[in-house]
Amino acid sequence: MKRKRLAKLVTAALLAVMLAACGANGGNKGTNTDAGKATGGSTGPKAEKITITFQNIFPDPTEPKHGIIKKIVEQYEKEHPNVKIELDSLNTDQQKLKLKTQAASREVPDITMVNPAAQMQHFVEAGLLAPLNDMLGENGLKETFQEGILDFYSFDGNVYALPDGNNIGLVYYNKEMFEQAGAQVPTTFEEMLDVVKKLKEKGFTPMAIGEKDTWTGSFLFMNMLLRTSGPGFLQKVLDGEKTFEDPTFVEAVDAFQALVQAGAFQEGATSFDYNAGENLFKTGQTAMYYMGSWATGGIETSSVNGKVGVFKFPTVNGKGDPNEFMLAPGSGFAISANSKHLEETKDFLNYFMVNFPKEAFLAKGAVGLGQHVEGDFKAAGYSDMAMEVLALFKDVKGGDLAFDNTMNPGTAQGHLTSIQNLFVNKIDSAEVAKEHQAAYVSNK
Amino acid sequence: MNVLKVSKTTIALFVLPCLLLYICLVFVPIVVSAYSGLLDWNGIGESTFIGLENFKTLFFNDSVFWPSVRRTLLFAVFSMAEIPIALFVAILLNRFVKRPNFLVSSYFLPVILSVVIVGQLWKTIYNPASMGGMLNGLLIAVGLPEWTRSWLTDPSIAMYSLYFVALWQYLGYHTLIQFTGIQAIPADLYEAARIDGAEGLKADWHITFPMNIPIFKISIVLAFIGSLQAFDMVMVMTAGGPAHATDVISTHMYNMSFLSMKYGYGSAIAIFLVCICLIATVIINFIFNRLDRKYT
Repeated sequence: MKRKRLAKLVTAALLAVMLAACGANGGNKGTNTDAGKATGGSTGPKAEKITITFQNIFPDPTEPKHGIIKKIVEQYEKEHPNVKIELDSLNTDQQKLKLKTQAASREVPDITMVNPAAQMQHFVEAGLLAPLNDMLGENGLKETFQEGILDFYSFDGNVYALPDGNNIGLVYYNKEMFEQAGAQVPTTFEEMLDVVKKLKEKGFTPMAIGEKDTWTGSFLFMNMLLRTSGPGFLQKVLDGEKTFEDPTFVEAVDAFQALVQAGAFQEGATSFDYNAGENLFKTGQTAMYYMGSWATGGIETSSVNGKVGVFKFPTVNGKGDPNEFMLAPGSGFAISANSKHLEETKDFLNYFMVNFPKEAFLAKGAVGLGQHVEGDFKAAGYSDMAMEVLALFKDVKGGDLAFDNTMNPGTAQGHLTSIQNLFVNKIDSAEVAKEHQAAYVSNK
Repeated sequence: MNVLKVSKTTIALFVLPCLLLYICLVFVPIVVSAYSGLLDWNGIGESTFIGLENFKTLFFNDSVFWPSVRRTLLFAVFSMAEIPIALFVAILLNRFVKRPNFLVSSYFLPVILSVVIVGQLWKTIYNPASMGGMLNGLLIAVGLPEWTRSWLTDPSIAMYSLYFVALWQYLGYHTLIQFTGIQAIPADLYEAARIDGAEGLKADWHITFPMNIPIFKISIVLAFIGSLQAFDMVMVMTAGGPAHATDVISTHMYNMSFLSMKYGYGSAIAIFLVCICLIATVIINFIFNRLDRKYT
């Protein structure tokens, strides 16, 4: 009998411990709320300790932004001993997934990162993000941003995120391989096909692409569409002025298929993910690489550094203006509307963004920022390729956003699959246009 | 039934923690998913109740869904067809190898490798010859260049390439299970059989196979459920591409829930998957119960 009671006691004790452990977590959250009442980022000795969670997409120590974030956070913590910034660094895809899961239970971290325009609209409409208009006015932060860039992060006159960059789509090319194949930088699409032919004859793989991550092919395709139809095609579809079966769209599909059929891309392109595709170019296995200018930093630290130049995507069938680029406003830092330390978080993000361009410039990561950068790039030791990219930025006369930044996710997925299919099957271009229209209508 | 020396309350107390965990981590999510499956919801914002509309679209208006179901079921069939082979290997190991432990462990090795590593490894093996793919390189080296394929990017064979990797990885797993099962069969049965004139394969057919049925069943259920839930391998090697050619039920669910932001629709697919798993388990149990009765 006694033993039985003992067993019960032990079990009860075990359970109690388990429950207490569960309770402890809840308790912690409670104390956080209390601390949240401390105001401002004041350095007063009596200010209560608070923790701000900073979810970001820079886990890779070889990337300049990883170091920049760490440095600014350390500086801020030194000046504000009561504030602890907790970094939650994840790969882009993981971060996207985690944020969506967190958003479903309305537990967005104090600072997180979202993609511009249509991709962040859901979060804004669900009231998960805090408007940042007030903190933009402080310390002249608003003036540091390039003109018009904040529009991509604004809804109904409120700014909801601050971009970490502003990039354009361009073609990187390996000068050595071009020389060996006797190829010149193409200015028309026909010349580009000719370059592909020359490179192939020499035994080179002309272009690298990481088409397992479907957005890569879409980004290139959209640049062709930008040439054949001019900027704003997708907006016109959304406004009901055009459909995907528009001849200019079919023309772009034709051009894209011509490039695939000419054997421009590496074999088995659809099984290469983004990194593997980029590595082909970075290790000198392919001669060209179409990507956003954010790739510049990575190419600079690779083995082909010094042999690489850049050019604008050429005209297609004599149409389009090469100075219109695929525009890729970067991921934006956003603040949770339900943050327990809204004021402190805003104060930190303001400090962070004001210092961001300065630190980025020092870390040689200032190519393709969304903010004005002061300083002499050449003197600071930026590479010739970086200087070339910076020069292209000066030529930008507008352009278009990526497909998934304009259309809703359902339509975007239909589009991405449809383009990926072109890498493995030759399809009537009119059929591709029809597929797009069907995907658009069913996801309206 | 009072064979146990502890009271029912004690049993209940001991079961409680696990039961609670099970309810919280398995049962509640299924119920919640079932409810989300009835919603038009992007996972973040407002949701509207639309009844069985998601299931209607799923069954009648989704060009990706049924092919992905077909691929998943085909995978299940292949996985189950692998079990007799595993059993055969186990019998051979048991009969002809003096110290089989080393061989069993080596067959088991791929199982303990992470799926991501196995996936990357086979991706490299499957690569086109121009990218240094080993398989195609080998085919060319032995004079069969017309047999080379782009194994993972040709829509008509990509799925079979994936099946093969999964079967390769799990052969050792099932061999180990069967091997353990066979070793548990008492040796005197075989001795008695020998006196009656049954040796070799005959003894296997009349003793090993019937005695091993419960273990065989475990492998079949594991293989079936495992293949229905196949996700990681596909994600690592092809991510369902090119153009949905290797999408299975779970990757389709993932795409819908998280990429197309149709969380409600994705939940509907999840519920379909749960139902298939339940039905399949019931059918498999039924078949094996009859087999059991026949032999015992």
